[in-house]
Amino acid sequence: MITFKDVSFSYTPTVTILRDVDFSIERGEFVAIVGSNGAGKSTMLRLMNGLLKPGVGEVFVDDLSTHTNKTSKLAKRVGLLFQNPDRQICCNTIAEEIAFGFKNLELPQEEIDATVADIIEDFGFDGARDPFSVSRGERQKIALASIIAVAPEIIILDEPTTGLDYRECIHIMDKVTALNETGTTIIMVCHDMELVLDYAKRVIVVAAGQIIADGNAHEVFRDTFAMQTASLLPPQIIELATELGGQFEQADTVEQIVDIVKARKAV
Amino acid sequence: MRGFLDYVAGDSILHRLNPITKIILSLCICIACFASNNLIFLVGIIGIDLVFGAVGHVFDKAVSLLKGLVKISIFLFIIQVLFVHSGTVLVPLPFGLDITLDGVVLAAKVVLKIIGATMPLALLLSVTQMSDLSNALVKKLNVPYQYAFTFTTAIRFIPIFADEMAGIMEAQTSRGVEFDTKNIFKKLGLILPLCVPLLISSVKKINSSAIAAEVRGFHLRNRTSGYKDYPIAGNDTVAIFLSVLLVLFSLYLNTL
Repeated sequence: MITFKDVSFSYTPTVTILRDVDFSIERGEFVAIVGSNGAGKSTMLRLMNGLLKPGVGEVFVDDLSTHTNKTSKLAKRVGLLFQNPDRQICCNTIAEEIAFGFKNLELPQEEIDATVADIIEDFGFDGARDPFSVSRGERQKIALASIIAVAPEIIILDEPTTGLDYRECIHIMDKVTALNETGTTIIMVCHDMELVLDYAKRVIVVAAGQIIADGNAHEVFRDTFAMQTASLLPPQIIELATELGGQFEQADTVEQIVDIVKARKAV
Repeated sequence: MRGFLDYVAGDSILHRLNPITKIILSLCICIACFASNNLIFLVGIIGIDLVFGAVGHVFDKAVSLLKGLVKISIFLFIIQVLFVHSGTVLVPLPFGLDITLDGVVLAAKVVLKIIGATMPLALLLSVTQMSDLSNALVKKLNVPYQYAFTFTTAIRFIPIFADEMAGIMEAQTSRGVEFDTKNIFKKLGLILPLCVPLLISSVKKINSSAIAAEVRGFHLRNRTSGYKDYPIAGNDTVAIFLSVLLVLFSLYLNTL
C-alpha cells in the first residue's frame, strides 16, 4: 500500500511541483496517473520509492516512511521501471541483467538461477545475448523482466510504452496485467489514454501539482471539467459514446457500442 | 554545483566583453594563481573571482561553486598535509604521518591555487554563450571551426553527462543498489559498473549530435559563415591590460 499524507514538494524554493497531495493506493490496484507534461506525475513516482523526499507531509510504503527508509531498502517492495531502459541496464548479458536485482537479496544461488531461467523462458529472451544489442522495445522488456524477477509487491511504470510499436506495447501491458491479476499493485504514468482505459482500473488526474480527479477510468474520462483542466483528451471511444448519448453514454469499448447497435437493429 | 556551467543571460559589463577578452582574463587569472606562491595574493584572487561573480550578476552561482570547490579541496588538503613531513611538527601522528607547518602551508597553497584558477573558467561560461565563444575563436583567433565546435561541445556535454549519470544512479538505486549509502568508498565501488550504461548513452548522444551537425552543413562552415562580428572595444583593451598586469604582479610578488 502507498500513502501520500498532505505531501508538497519543490525542487527549488520558488516553484512548487506538488501541493497538498493526499491519497492512498491499496494492494492489488491498477492505477494510472495522467496529466500534461510538467504536471508533477514523474515527481509523484519518485516520491513513491523514496528517490525524492517530500518537503512537507509524508509518503508511506506499507508502514515504512520514505523519510526514514533508504530507496535501496524500499526496492525490495517497490520496483520502478524508468522511461529510458538504458539507464537501468548495466550487465553484459540478458541473464546477468535479470539476475542483477538478486545481488541485494541474499537468496540461494539455485533459487536465483531457476527464477532467471523461468523469466527468460516466459519473455522469450536469448539469455546469452548482449542487452544493448537488441531493439528499444526488447530493452524495455528486459528492464521490466529484471524488475519482475525480484517480485516486488508494487511495480511503478514511468511511461512504459514510450517509443514502442503497438505489438511491443501490448506485450508489455499484458505482462503487467498478468502480474496485477496475481496481486501485484501496478501504478503507471501514461500519456496514451486509450491504453489507460484498456488496462487501468483507477485513474488519478494531476494538474499543476494537484489531484483534480480520482476514480474509476469510466467516470474520470467522462469528467469534462477534469479533462479540460488537465489539458487531456479522453479516449475516442468515450468521446463517441458521450456524443451519441442515450444508451451509448455508458459504453467504454467498441464491443459495447456494437452490441447496443445490434440490439437496436434487432428491435 | 548542479548547472554550474550553464549560461546566465544578462547585460552586465562582463556579459558585454568580447569572448576572447574573457578567455584572456580567465587564463591570466589561472596563470597568476599558478605562478604565485603568496597566500594573501591567492586569497585575494578568490576575492576577485567573487567580485566578478557579483559584477556578472552570478554571485549566488559563484558562492555555490566556491562551496563545492572547498568540499573537494578538503580531501586534497588532507592528502597533501599527510604526505609532506618537512618543517616544524605541529601535530605528531603515528607511522611518521606528522602534520608539519610546511605541509599545511603547501596544502593551503595548492588548494587556493586550484580554487582560484577554476572559478574564473566556470564564471566565464556563465556569462558567455557557447555559440559566441566558438564563433569568436573562429573569427578572431582563426581557430578552425571544427576545433572550436569540438571545444564548446565538450564543455556543453559535461552537464549532460552529469545528468545522465545522476539518472543512471537513480535507476540503480531503485533496483536496490546502495547508492544512498553514506560510505563514500562503497559508493565509489558501486559507480564502476555504471561506466557501461554511461559510455553507451554517451556514444549514442555524440553520434546523434554528429548526425544533426552534418545535416545542417557542419562541413561547410568557415570563418566567413557567421554574421556576427566581435570587435575589441575600449572595455576589452582595459580588461586585457589589467589581466596582464595581474600576471606581472604575481611574478613580482615571487621576487620579494
